[in-house]
Amino acid sequence: MNPNPPKLHIPVEHTTLSNGLRVVASPDRSAPFVTVGVYYQIGFRLEPRGRSGFAHLFEHMMFQGSENAGKMEHIRLVNSSGGLLNGTTNYDITNYFESVPSNALERVLWLEADRMRALKVDDENLRNQRDVVKEEVRVNVFNQPYGGFAWLDLPPIAFRNWPNAHNFYGDFADLDAATLADVQQFFRTYYAPNNAVLLMLGDLDPTEAFSLARRYFEDIPAQPLPPRADVSEPPQTEEHRGEVPEKLGPLPAIAIGYTMPPRETPDWYAAAILDRVLHGGRAGRVYRKLVLEEQIAVDAEGGVDLIDTNGPTQMVTRIFHKPEFTSEGAVAVFDEVIEELQHRGVPPDELDAVKVKFRSDYYSMLEGGMGSYMPRFGLMHYLACFTLFDGDPNRINTILDEFLRVTPERIRDGAKKHLVPRNRAVLFRRPVAVPAGGAR
Amino acid sequence: MTSTGAPAPSVSRRATPPLASERPAAWPKRTVVTLDNGLQVVLAESRAFPRISVQLFFRSGNAVVAKSAPGLAEMTATVVRTGTVSRSSRQIEEDLRRLGASLGASSGADSSAISASGLTEFSSGILELIADLARHASFPADEFERERRQRFEELKIERTTPSFLANERLRRVLFGEHPYAIVAPTEEQVIAFRREQLVDFYREHYAPAGSLLLVVGDFAAQSMLDQVEVVFGNWSAPKPTPPVSPAPPHHSGRRVYLVHRPGTVQTQILLGNLSITRRDPDWYRLALANSIYGGAFHSRLVINIREQKGYTYSPGSGVNPLRQQGYFTVRAAVRNDMVAATLTEIFYEIDRMRSLPVSFEELDSARHYLTGVFSLGVATQSGLLGQLSTVYLDELPSDYLETYREKIHALTADDVLAAARRHFDSANSPVVLVGDRAQIAEQAALFGPVELLDASGTVLG
Repeated sequence: MNPNPPKLHIPVEHTTLSNGLRVVASPDRSAPFVTVGVYYQIGFRLEPRGRSGFAHLFEHMMFQGSENAGKMEHIRLVNSSGGLLNGTTNYDITNYFESVPSNALERVLWLEADRMRALKVDDENLRNQRDVVKEEVRVNVFNQPYGGFAWLDLPPIAFRNWPNAHNFYGDFADLDAATLADVQQFFRTYYAPNNAVLLMLGDLDPTEAFSLARRYFEDIPAQPLPPRADVSEPPQTEEHRGEVPEKLGPLPAIAIGYTMPPRETPDWYAAAILDRVLHGGRAGRVYRKLVLEEQIAVDAEGGVDLIDTNGPTQMVTRIFHKPEFTSEGAVAVFDEVIEELQHRGVPPDELDAVKVKFRSDYYSMLEGGMGSYMPRFGLMHYLACFTLFDGDPNRINTILDEFLRVTPERIRDGAKKHLVPRNRAVLFRRPVAVPAGGAR
Repeated sequence: MTSTGAPAPSVSRRATPPLASERPAAWPKRTVVTLDNGLQVVLAESRAFPRISVQLFFRSGNAVVAKSAPGLAEMTATVVRTGTVSRSSRQIEEDLRRLGASLGASSGADSSAISASGLTEFSSGILELIADLARHASFPADEFERERRQRFEELKIERTTPSFLANERLRRVLFGEHPYAIVAPTEEQVIAFRREQLVDFYREHYAPAGSLLLVVGDFAAQSMLDQVEVVFGNWSAPKPTPPVSPAPPHHSGRRVYLVHRPGTVQTQILLGNLSITRRDPDWYRLALANSIYGGAFHSRLVINIREQKGYTYSPGSGVNPLRQQGYFTVRAAVRNDMVAATLTEIFYEIDRMRSLPVSFEELDSARHYLTGVFSLGVATQSGLLGQLSTVYLDELPSDYLETYREKIHALTADDVLAAARRHFDSANSPVVLVGDRAQIAEQAALFGPVELLDASGTVLG
């Protein structure tokens, strides 16, 4: 162990425009590229009731045209500047981002400001993207072995409050019911500068970048924001269990989710380390026990999105086991792993190693985070979450220490308190398909 | 909080801002050394984060064993990480964690690789672990049995995955007797693997001569080279003999291969034709033509069948440059009643590329796209590693990265037209459809004679 590992310091500057838009810049002149993102504090957790899947459908609409950049123009202008773009919908945020050569910074800011100011879409755009989204659901869920396992099918079993428990991709009937009026209403309500953060990273001068941000964004009017919806869960009193038929894949699968403690509490930091003790590749205790030692499972992995969620969140273990074992038997062996942790805790050398790996993974996430061609995507993503959820982008430089300070006692206590049946949901995905090759 | 500059001047909101003057990507300097034992070492500094990424390539993959034991190279790589003479499987995994490292070992058609990335402060430990796996793997019998069973179960899952089934069938049809025809073993072939076969493959192909070690990351090149020489310098083994393969078949006329999966709600379309490798002088022209056709979000195919017609979510085309022979593919997962309509548009857009020169605007846009995205690879360690492996594994000219940009920018609409005519073949492309025959057989028959198969490849009546 290296007692004094080198400290990484990420330069971060931030300001707030008069319309409430938060702006964060992180310069790095080592390569001539910028990554730019706009994060809105709205995700599928807060979409309107009866409109499941709407936040994601809406994200598609943001590429369909704005006041001065019509359909395909956003995509054409970014691609023809030598860059890539995308957007994603998450629990509590929706993001839009580009990586481009740094000479396209102003152009990209103009594009993002144009669609924050005014969306310009029609019924044909909506019909078109509704069709596209349905094919997205088919390719990722209905026509894919273990599609949606477990991000779509565990929440309805785990949670009781609709925002946390509904179908995030959307029922097709709800997608069909969405109207252009819904689109504009959603845009007015949530896509306001005072509900967003603009991030600019890479080959830029923060002072110039802030000046450009002012030029393009500052006269977009702020909007009154709705009160934050109540996403809290009623207290759970017993284990939740559910089953979903697996129509394509041949192996039984199990997902086990434990609800995590609230954001940035001492237990929350401990939970992040606990997750890496249990999961974290082949050295993780779950893989070691179920795949390597007992050889019940062919794969067993898991994780938790802690930094980028701001509401009830689960640490989820996913197990694919051999057909000659029962799912109940596999859960019993998984429970032995948890009980061992609760009774004996984590030896210091194991905890030290987990923390070294945690630090390495944190840096790796900041550097890339979305393949090789979106440099600093992870850094942007975390800066956005720290700004929107915690009001402080500089957490990027301090939060690692909080994770690395977690003690063995906290881990054991956290396991005893949170890794208990009345705090978890278990999903069984049982195959119904005829074996591959036998279909006639 | 930071105070920022002067008040914003009034700007036109309507006009797209022009691009500022460009600062081209400077590719990092490489240190390229061949050790006495024949191992080629390429080092490049990338110092923004305190990590290193390492990849050790052997120039033998699944193609070498496609006739005797398909998938044997992949199985060998999988078991390599499970034990060495001095480390147990558990020890290897725990050592990795202590080094802040992740490790992968795998084989493609043309090569096998051991890769790791981790913290710079543990770089020598990471190099030593890779060397240990490359030189002293022990293939423990129990680990082999476990991995073989896992591979068996994984294969069953892969053969329920539409994109896998489509790729498996297209490769089989396109490459015929050439080893690239086989992308994965059957379940029976996995059961038949013997530990001794893995050991033999390892002894023959995991050797320094002709192999390639790439190291990218936060280090000074000279001190990293010293470390590499200490760890890999005294490794010696006979040089493997390169394989010779038969030529792939010539395709004439269009045939449809329908992989039947009852009850599916969507059809996976994959079609293509044989094409060139990266070493072909036409490579740049083909890359540009592909980018205009279906290789980018703003490409003709994506605009047509996604943004105008809504048939599909993520269509696209690509050139797959395997070492001996490349191939061009077009893919789309579409709703069942739009299979014929989608194929019509796919072929229409191919034929348009072959018939008319692209507009200057499309040409210029695609040239910028290709060079910009190519250069984004300089900004992350994994991107840089990927670009370097392209150059050195395919034995491209050493200035490939530095000259790519000017070569692309020199291309004209005539070059694109010529490339499309030579390398996109709509008339003789095999078409693979993975879907429910009851819903798509009639549509399939519009495009050529149909061969009906099940997921295991058995021809159905």
